[in-house]
Amino acid sequence: MNMALDAYEGASDEALLVLYGNGDPMAAQLLTHRLAPRVLGFATRLLGGDRAEAEDVTQEAMLRLWKQAASWRSGEAQVSTWLYRVVSNLCTDRLRKRRTVDLDAAGDPEDGQPSAVENMMDVDRATALQDALNRLPDRQKVAVTLRHIEGATNPEIAQIMGISVEAVESLTARGKRALAKDLAGRREELGYGED
Amino acid sequence: MAKTDNQPMQDDELDLFFEAARQDVAEPSDALMAAIMADAQAHMPVVDPLPAPKAQTKGWFASIWSAIGGLPAAASLATATVAGVWIGFTQPVQLETLSGGLVLAGDYVTTDTSYALEDLAPGYLGTTLFAEDEG
Repeated sequence: MNMALDAYEGASDEALLVLYGNGDPMAAQLLTHRLAPRVLGFATRLLGGDRAEAEDVTQEAMLRLWKQAASWRSGEAQVSTWLYRVVSNLCTDRLRKRRTVDLDAAGDPEDGQPSAVENMMDVDRATALQDALNRLPDRQKVAVTLRHIEGATNPEIAQIMGISVEAVESLTARGKRALAKDLAGRREELGYGED
Repeated sequence: MAKTDNQPMQDDELDLFFEAARQDVAEPSDALMAAIMADAQAHMPVVDPLPAPKAQTKGWFASIWSAIGGLPAAASLATATVAGVWIGFTQPVQLETLSGGLVLAGDYVTTDTSYALEDLAPGYLGTTLFAEDEG
């Protein structure tokens, strides 16, 4: 089984999705291991750190991918781009529904969720960034997260968000300026007070 | 010089925050992975296998048909049969002509129009005629 998985290791996401569409369960296994962590990370950030809700979104997004497999149009979009778009829409819908909830409270990391970041300074930075991201308008948050954390290019973000590349550049620039201003207020707390 | 809270962070400072966030990789729980795989199994498209090739079994007619040589042989056989029937039922006068008299189709025994030998070969009995003339 592991040898077979190794043989699939070099295959693209799209090739694996086509294999799954042809009835290959091992392709689904590899796609899940490859995509679920990225989807979960993205959803967690967009949802302000709510891990439980992010897991729901991840399962829903992957379910839509499985359903899409049979009619997947090759070459039209990257699988990851398509997934980010689904996740972005699902998260935006959920954020709209809970608009009345206190964003600061929603941004608190859940108890019992161990962080993958070992260094305490990095933990503080990641938490502070998440808090600042939560205060951004939704579209700026999506654009900045995709560009600076998920590593997507501007054309990919444009495709994910369904807007022009110029609009993406504007959103990320404004988002970064807002983050820079917001996080400046926490310099002392995060140990940036002295050069 | 100490940076004050009023000064926005520079890009290199902000990059440290993004880098910290990138390292904070979300690890899906086993339960989530199992749920996703269960969905994948449940919604995996069913692909019809290619139909198995049917065994080539010939019936008795097909066996005979192929044994005699198929359609060309059957056509020849039919032509010969029709020709035989035609020859059997029609007066084969033309056959006599075509065969140059080798095949005689007429009734030359009882007919009045039969030819004597001298009609066919006058020179053969020439002396007799001269004798009669001389009387």
